[in-house]
Amino acid sequence: MDIQLNDISKSFGDQLAIDHVGFTINSGDICCLLGPSGSGKTTLIRLMIGALAADKGSVRIGETVMPNMHMLHNIGFMPQNDGLYDDLSAEANLEFFGSIYKLGKTTLQQRITEVLTLVDLTADRKKLVRNFSGGMKKRLSLAIAILHQPDVLFLDEPTVGIDPILRRQIWDQFQGIRANGTTIIVSTHVMDEVLECDRAALIYNGRLIAYDTVPHLLDQTENGRVEELFLIAGREGGTDHA
Amino acid sequence: MRNLAKRVIFQTLNDKRSVALILIAPLLILTLVYFLLGDSDYVPVVVLDENAPTQLVEAFEAETLDVRLDTVDDPFGYLEDNKDVDAIFEATQEGTTITLREPSTKSSKAVREIQAALSALNPAADIEMNYVYGEEGQSTFDSFGYVFLSLFSFFFVFILSAMALVKERSGGTLERLLMTPIKRGQVILGYTLGYGVFAVIQSVFIVLYTIYVLGLTSLGNIGWVFLVMILMAGTAVLFGATISVFARSELQVVQMIPFTIIPQVFFSGLIPLDLIPYGLGNLSYIMPIFYGATAIKEVMVYGSGFAGIWGYVLGLVVYAGVLYLLNMRALGKYRGH
Repeated sequence: MDIQLNDISKSFGDQLAIDHVGFTINSGDICCLLGPSGSGKTTLIRLMIGALAADKGSVRIGETVMPNMHMLHNIGFMPQNDGLYDDLSAEANLEFFGSIYKLGKTTLQQRITEVLTLVDLTADRKKLVRNFSGGMKKRLSLAIAILHQPDVLFLDEPTVGIDPILRRQIWDQFQGIRANGTTIIVSTHVMDEVLECDRAALIYNGRLIAYDTVPHLLDQTENGRVEELFLIAGREGGTDHA
Repeated sequence: MRNLAKRVIFQTLNDKRSVALILIAPLLILTLVYFLLGDSDYVPVVVLDENAPTQLVEAFEAETLDVRLDTVDDPFGYLEDNKDVDAIFEATQEGTTITLREPSTKSSKAVREIQAALSALNPAADIEMNYVYGEEGQSTFDSFGYVFLSLFSFFFVFILSAMALVKERSGGTLERLLMTPIKRGQVILGYTLGYGVFAVIQSVFIVLYTIYVLGLTSLGNIGWVFLVMILMAGTAVLFGATISVFARSELQVVQMIPFTIIPQVFFSGLIPLDLIPYGLGNLSYIMPIFYGATAIKEVMVYGSGFAGIWGYVLGLVVYAGVLYLLNMRALGKYRGH
């Protein structure tokens, strides 16, 4: 399912958080929202999901204008701070979120087994989440996001605070999910992660400073480093809305 | 909604402190209140002049008083020097004087016993006190016990729900939940139902314990007390959810207690609302504990049935309805509304 952002703007009070951003994410792509902390990545994700309404412009997922309650059946969301119930087991967390999507008892149990295998938490399914490590929580959070096999998956800083080995594993899982045709939108401030994506949207102070395939973006730099694009944006006055 | 309620129940059961807060803490505090405000076996110490008539001394000794005979020239100095003495009684040609250490419940008890002794000496001066409800000499716990039923059923459920919902907001679970196709009304009712189960159990515990263990009497049917307490607890869940909107951490919920809960204690019936100056007693109508405490008083003290409490029950239902709408509005911000 493709996602179209049509010239959207969003302010909080007198602070402009998103400034006339427009681009299209192709169906089945992994699209990276890349930018420093506070640049507007999470706001952009919330606008796309429909958790926020844009002041100007519109967001469409497929043919559906967001916000749209029905579309939430087709969306998976992994928040930045995991969003897990610590006092429940991994399995109980999955059962609860799965029940909201009305998967049916047999299908739900089957999907729980599948996603726990995918994120390598089968042996820990009965453990309370409060006893999980940070990495295990990230993986369980991802499992919840993909439990109902969404067409579009939003991942808000999924690898923040994760060690390099686990980060590699998580990205391998994203690639596996994309292989099933899921469109994935990942926000990150880790520049290297852009190399994992098909396309990247570079966000700086609420503005879209570049959106293209990753090879094309890197071609615009002198030494193949994504950071250069942000430095160029800074020189060109991208701090107007700081 | 049912799945959300089930999740709330299991989650709370997995947190032993929460279970203790809602089920054990009220009973523990009620027991303490019972001993603090219940019948006391304290015997006030009263000093009479050593030349006091035998008849007077005998009348004093017939009451619950520890009577001592002594020569007292300076009552104030005497009380300063004898810390265990509560009162000095002096009867002269000019009149009768009682000197007490300080205004306190101990002093009040000494005065009551002295008045009883004097009445025994002069039956014509004896005043018989009759009450339509309650009886003379009943303990403070008997008089105000009903207030604590409503206070505790509200307070502990409020704390639990406000803390849990702040944690849901700060931990991202509420945001995640509202990124699913669940309806906002289902979220609010799910929480209310989930904590409502604990509220029902808590109400049963509190009412049965207060009546059958602590001996608080109820003139009316305790079924109505259960109804009011469950409504109170449901309102407390919604009140806690509303307060959690304005708090970013559990600490901030605690910081709001002086603004949200403590004023309600004063309007719960501990102080007659008519005695509160400048018409401030009318503030009680915006406080949910007032409706619950007054309804429980109607049942337990006045023996009223539904006809006597429907107005207060309606007040609680309307209050809960308003809080439900406020919560619906607050959750709207997660849905682009």
